[in-house]
Amino acid sequence: MSTTVPTTTGSPSRRRSTPVDSGLGWLDDRLGVAKGGRIFMDKIFPDHWSFLLGEIALYSFVVLLATGVFLTLYFVPSAAQTVYHGVYKPLDGVKMSEAYASSVNISFAVRSGLVIRQMHHWAADVFIGSIAVHMCRIFFTGAFRKPRELNWIVGVSLLFLAIVNGFLGYSLPDDLISGTGIRIAYSILLSIPLVGSYLATLVFGGVFPGNGSIIPRFFILHVLILPAIIAGLIGAHLFMLVRQKHTQFPGHGRTEDNVVGSPMFPTFMAKTTGFLFMVTGVLWALGGLAQINPIWQFGPYVPYKISYAVQPDWYMGWLDGAMRIMPSWEFAGFGHTIPFMIFLPGVLFPGLTSILFIFWPFIEQKLTGDRAEHHLLDRPRDRPRRTAVGAAFLAFYFMLFCASSTDVLANFFQVSLNVVLWTFRFIVFIVPIIVGLFTYRICLDMTGASHVGKRKRAVLIVRSATGAYTTVDTEARPGDGHHELEPMLVPGFIEGLDGDGAEGGEPGVRRVVRRP
Amino acid sequence: MRTVRKTLHIRYLLPAAVVVAVGVGGLLTSLSAGASTRSRTPSGANAIAAPTPPIRYVGTFTPAQVHEGQVLFEANCSSCHGTQAEGSALAPDLQGLGPATVDFWVSTGRMPLADASVQATRKPARFDNQQATAISAYVASLAPTAPGFPSGIPYVDTKASSLSMGNRLFVLNCAACHTITGAGDALADGAYAPSLHVATSTQVAEAVRTGPGNMPVFGPGTLSNAQVADIVAYVTGPIQHPNDRGGIGLGGIGPVAEGFVALLIGVGGIMLIAFWLGERA
Repeated sequence: MSTTVPTTTGSPSRRRSTPVDSGLGWLDDRLGVAKGGRIFMDKIFPDHWSFLLGEIALYSFVVLLATGVFLTLYFVPSAAQTVYHGVYKPLDGVKMSEAYASSVNISFAVRSGLVIRQMHHWAADVFIGSIAVHMCRIFFTGAFRKPRELNWIVGVSLLFLAIVNGFLGYSLPDDLISGTGIRIAYSILLSIPLVGSYLATLVFGGVFPGNGSIIPRFFILHVLILPAIIAGLIGAHLFMLVRQKHTQFPGHGRTEDNVVGSPMFPTFMAKTTGFLFMVTGVLWALGGLAQINPIWQFGPYVPYKISYAVQPDWYMGWLDGAMRIMPSWEFAGFGHTIPFMIFLPGVLFPGLTSILFIFWPFIEQKLTGDRAEHHLLDRPRDRPRRTAVGAAFLAFYFMLFCASSTDVLANFFQVSLNVVLWTFRFIVFIVPIIVGLFTYRICLDMTGASHVGKRKRAVLIVRSATGAYTTVDTEARPGDGHHELEPMLVPGFIEGLDGDGAEGGEPGVRRVVRRP
Repeated sequence: MRTVRKTLHIRYLLPAAVVVAVGVGGLLTSLSAGASTRSRTPSGANAIAAPTPPIRYVGTFTPAQVHEGQVLFEANCSSCHGTQAEGSALAPDLQGLGPATVDFWVSTGRMPLADASVQATRKPARFDNQQATAISAYVASLAPTAPGFPSGIPYVDTKASSLSMGNRLFVLNCAACHTITGAGDALADGAYAPSLHVATSTQVAEAVRTGPGNMPVFGPGTLSNAQVADIVAYVTGPIQHPNDRGGIGLGGIGPVAEGFVALLIGVGGIMLIAFWLGERA
């Protein structure tokens, strides 16, 4: 067995041994890679396109690492003051931090520095965006259910770590806009009752802006500690994905016990490698064609200077929006001030959000009583309540995201900023309710309609000899490569309550009843 | 198995073509970016000091100009401001505000006013520069200019101005409302700071010195003439013609536009590719 090469299935003698064979054989003799390689190569990936969404995030992360390494070669993580005498003349002779000066230099003086910097930034935006889209797919199809709760938790952790690392990276150039963001982060830390001032002093090494220690601290977090954790968690994410088999949509020949799709080698590997290059290509195109964060136009951060119309990157928008529309409530007494207008939207709200996201699989288990294993995915319309709740939450966070651009909206539509602000205070709660109810209704209607989701077939209109018209349904066109998606009978314990666990069986587990 | 060789339809190849096209475009742009900046010449900062003052205030006008201004004023302005610019219940007293104030409001098209209930908006000017100067001359002839207002229409010479000083002064004094890119933004209660992208050098200096609308007056005690000229040089230079190195500028409104591009074109575009690569059912 030790000489068998993982890629050959037949007997070794049928084929001449190549250097690859002997190299792999050498490795197998020492590490036993054949067995693991066999499992890995034979791993089956479902072919549905929505299973590629997570890979967008994976490959964006690869681009982030590659471009990030390039940037660290030229970025100087120091708040030490220097006087700029570079290519960009409007900043000539301006006193600034080494961090900002080196960022401007990357944009102007380093060959292809700007395109790499912009690729890095676009890749960060796309990374978190694709995590969000991937997470929506997982959520709405119920892929987080047993036995994949752990992987859901890892995924949610990755989302929040990516957001934090995005913010740190956005802060590093030390330009006027990012400095404003750091100032807000400092205020958020300060707003935590009892420990806030100590925490803020600890993080910043003094009262804001500290002694310039925040840039090196953010740098080491951004380029080493958080990427290492993210890479480790991605590894765990993928390991669990290989260890547990893939989920799949219900359909012809697909059961809870099998996976229908393409094997890792060669089909999926070819496809996914191509996808890596395409993701890289799109990010490269964005980096070369669309300007992002032109820091040289902003000037260095000086605490007493500020620009109006400052938004964070999009993934922080929901937090910024929450802070913008929060009424200015605060508690003052007993010698202390608790600024609720910062603490609630800046600390409590993201805290509750992360707890809700992380524990969602268990919350849903508690609500539905469904503790069974699931390897077949739900169609969103078959789970109207989950889909409605998900859509409402999406709408909620999207409205907060929009609230982050109150000033831009007011200016663009030429309405009063105050009107926009008050409008958001209401629609942030009204729109999700409407969206949730609407989604619930649509799901119910779609469940009842037999033709929804089916492949369209031609209808022949036949005229009889007497002149009457009749319609005739035709068969599926020959060569329609795919079998029609016939949903499996789904367990009925979510929408219909069949049994409550008391009548025998495992306690707390409701009897699975196949819906006719 | 039935083999059905479908014709290779264009729609299967389209996403690939788009990816290739933008990829090549990105490569070309990134390669050309270095070349284009190198050819740009530094402006302003190192020019030799000119003997002329940075701002020349022209406050003396000919009787012909005053007469022309009177005709225009009576025909277009007097119904609200009164024939002697003394003001009415509808409009403020203009006497003593000086020619620069009048010239700013008229030459930017804010006067005559379209709607008194909202902030005056820049619009195509009804009068050309010569006519605006004439109206200013007439109003200035009615009363001596009050202290604190410039006594003439400022003409700015930015040859000796410093862009970096202009940048510093702009960030310190202007960016808090007009934003760092000069795009302007909404302020409280329907007021807004207008975009600076179309203002002329004289109009910028007039606005700084006379403080139209909600804008504060930056008098000679706050900013010297040389400093105003620096700001004018920065506004008419990098603000109005930003160095949009790195591709399309996306409107200079920052992360809002960037987020939409990242999500719609970035994530959306890659999702289309995934849709093309994967099975649809």
